[in-house]
Amino acid sequence: MSAPVLVTGVGTLGCWGSGSELLAAALAAGVPLASEVDRSAGYHLANGARRACLVPAGQLAGWLSPGESRRMSPPSKLAVAASRMALECAGLDGGEEERTAVVIATAFGPSTNTEILLKQILFEGPESASPSLFMESVANAPAAQIAIALKARGSSLTVCQREAGPLLALGTGAAEIDAGRARRVLAGTVDEMTPLLHALLDRFGALARGGPEGEELARPFGRGRNGFLAGEGATVLVLESAESVADRGGKALARVLAWGSAFDPTAPPSGWGQGHHALARGLRRTLERAGLRPADVDLVVSGASGAREGDRLEAQVLHAAWEGAPLPPVAAPKAVTGEYGGGLLASAVLAAAGSRLGPAAGWQAADPDLGIVLCDGSSLPAPAIVLVTSLAAGGAGAWAVLGRGVG
Amino acid sequence: MGQVAVTGVGAVCGLGWGVDALWQGLRAGRSGIGPFARFDHSQHRTHLAAEAPEADSPDLSRRCPGWRRLSIADRFALFAALEAMEQAGLDPTTGTMPPEDVGVYFGSSTGGMYESELFFGDFLRDPRRARLSALVAQQVNAPGDAVARQLGATGPVATFSSACASGALALGAALAAVRSGLVDVAIAGGSDSLCQLTYAGFNALRSVDEAPCRPFRADRAGMSFGEGAAVLVLEPLERALARGAEPLAVLAGAGSSCDAHHMTAPDPTGAGAAAAVEAALADAGLAAGAVDFVNVHGTGTPLNDAAEWQALRRVFGERAGEVPLVATKALLGHLLGSSGAIEAVATVLCLQRGELHPVRREGEADPELPVSLVLDAPLFLPDMRAAVSTSLAFGGSNAALVFSRWAGPAA
Repeated sequence: MSAPVLVTGVGTLGCWGSGSELLAAALAAGVPLASEVDRSAGYHLANGARRACLVPAGQLAGWLSPGESRRMSPPSKLAVAASRMALECAGLDGGEEERTAVVIATAFGPSTNTEILLKQILFEGPESASPSLFMESVANAPAAQIAIALKARGSSLTVCQREAGPLLALGTGAAEIDAGRARRVLAGTVDEMTPLLHALLDRFGALARGGPEGEELARPFGRGRNGFLAGEGATVLVLESAESVADRGGKALARVLAWGSAFDPTAPPSGWGQGHHALARGLRRTLERAGLRPADVDLVVSGASGAREGDRLEAQVLHAAWEGAPLPPVAAPKAVTGEYGGGLLASAVLAAAGSRLGPAAGWQAADPDLGIVLCDGSSLPAPAIVLVTSLAAGGAGAWAVLGRGVG
Repeated sequence: MGQVAVTGVGAVCGLGWGVDALWQGLRAGRSGIGPFARFDHSQHRTHLAAEAPEADSPDLSRRCPGWRRLSIADRFALFAALEAMEQAGLDPTTGTMPPEDVGVYFGSSTGGMYESELFFGDFLRDPRRARLSALVAQQVNAPGDAVARQLGATGPVATFSSACASGALALGAALAAVRSGLVDVAIAGGSDSLCQLTYAGFNALRSVDEAPCRPFRADRAGMSFGEGAAVLVLEPLERALARGAEPLAVLAGAGSSCDAHHMTAPDPTGAGAAAAVEAALADAGLAAGAVDFVNVHGTGTPLNDAAEWQALRRVFGERAGEVPLVATKALLGHLLGSSGAIEAVATVLCLQRGELHPVRREGEADPELPVSLVLDAPLFLPDMRAAVSTSLAFGGSNAALVFSRWAGPAA
């Protein structure tokens, strides 16, 4: 990598509301923000999961025109709003359109539109399919709508790699700048959590179920974890070259020092594998690209979500990468933000920018088999080097190394 | 920056399973577009597609665990990947290819959507009847993951889903990964199967021709659907030569852009598409004058072909009408997320063999688009040096690849 890529803006919407200030407050409090899912369609099991980290109503006000709101799918709306928020955070108002790229990850794409279309096609006949729904059902609709809204004419890329997608998008965006193909990149992730998707994830046994008190909590690395809280939202980062930031007198929230990814071929489709050594090698290679060793990491912002086997694999990967040495403090923001929708990505940038990540929502006791005790953030100095991790069901893993901002 | 060789290709499409079936069909100008049986299309507006022939479908269950449970798109991907690896002379089980140095870069627009539709049909009627296992491989990233799993690759794996540019964008990412030393071997391509969602959706947009598509012709009325997969094995040229591999071509450059204009309609000025081609040529260090032919996106829709012609004019100037154009979709249909990959394979084959595949002369030439489409018979160009392949997608995402002919180490 020739020079660090800088993060100069964050736009984020999720169960915490809109904006990084609300996310920072939610993370500091460590309060779970899940709400009831609409189960009226009958997709859910009677004793199934009931809660998800959903975007509260009214969060898009002021970020979209009425025309945009009317024609866009829910993920496109979230992504465009987050992009405008990110540009505002970066102090940018247009410019550089020819050399602005967009890289957006999505695990499931526009699920609402896809579900309605399938119902139209399968039950009302294919000629009932709505053209406007179809054009907003493709996975790259959010990236395309960002490009249209902001006149961004650089590369437009959509990455689909489930839970590893957000960090792959960050790395792909940083690579665009590093290779000189773009001067500015809007990189991030978006997903919506529909009742159908929520019900299906639960039927696969992926979601947290209620404990003795009935509350569904994620409990990453915890002894009582039994699944993750499904989430939704969007996070978009403004990435710029150091030269670009210097030219306009901008300020960086964080530096992207390295990125990397690897694959565990022992993982079944949509499941978790046993290949922690291969993934740990990928993690260490990522650090080496930044000229770092595991001991240089001050904080791990982990993608652990409360998934039973996923968290086990994540713990094994971290221990293998550190070769048995003590780990630095580990935080798991998905306990607050839920899985999907960009909470991890935004949390990692906030951590690198000096925000305190608080206690993990729902944390009771460490799983003794995993050997990881989550930090509560209360006594930590601001980290200089943050490692962000995200393993995906199906085998992928991605990492990013962030440093403090400058300028 | 070293050169990146293509050392293996694999493909499955409406012309058959395997690169030989593809090439024999292409050079004969034989269309794979016709009646199809994947799903009941009696209630759809149109009734044609280039469906991969089921009768020729191989049984790879001995080589590929769980083959029978895989989605069709996953099977396409695995077949193409294994064929490409075999041609490249790479066997991940022999230890000659460290798994951490192998990356997989794939494009797909719908992954296992066909199987998902079967599931949803059951689930929405009665959730108790639906088999969840049918959904396991429905993810867009499933074909690329299946390839990595089969090959034991532990390097980077990434799936791009930018509609019809997905496959070409995946190849661009793979090229960057090989050049930067991130991987020694990149397995890059795309896979998509026919499904009702896209078939009905494009018909709803009135983008599908009731007859086989006729790119750049006056009476063109839309695209035809296809399905399949294509895979290219990329590796540093020096590495390929050192291990005795015979390069098929060199992937010399990649470029991409966005129209930022409309979700479905291309920018009629062609500026975005031209920017992608110019970026790819710059990446390859080539001038437009060095390009001997273009494998065009050429969907056959009135707006897309007109916009692509404008892009060609921007890039090639007065020469735009003279550059031979190859319109692979006229024979294979539109493979959506896999189209950029299979057209890349077609481009490599044309370069390597010194002949451009034709398409049948259907209807009159469009006087507004005075292109030099290769029609009726192969065009022999034994001294070709370089070619461009374009992919122009939904949402304005454009991608272009530049391939150079491999004429030996002394050339």
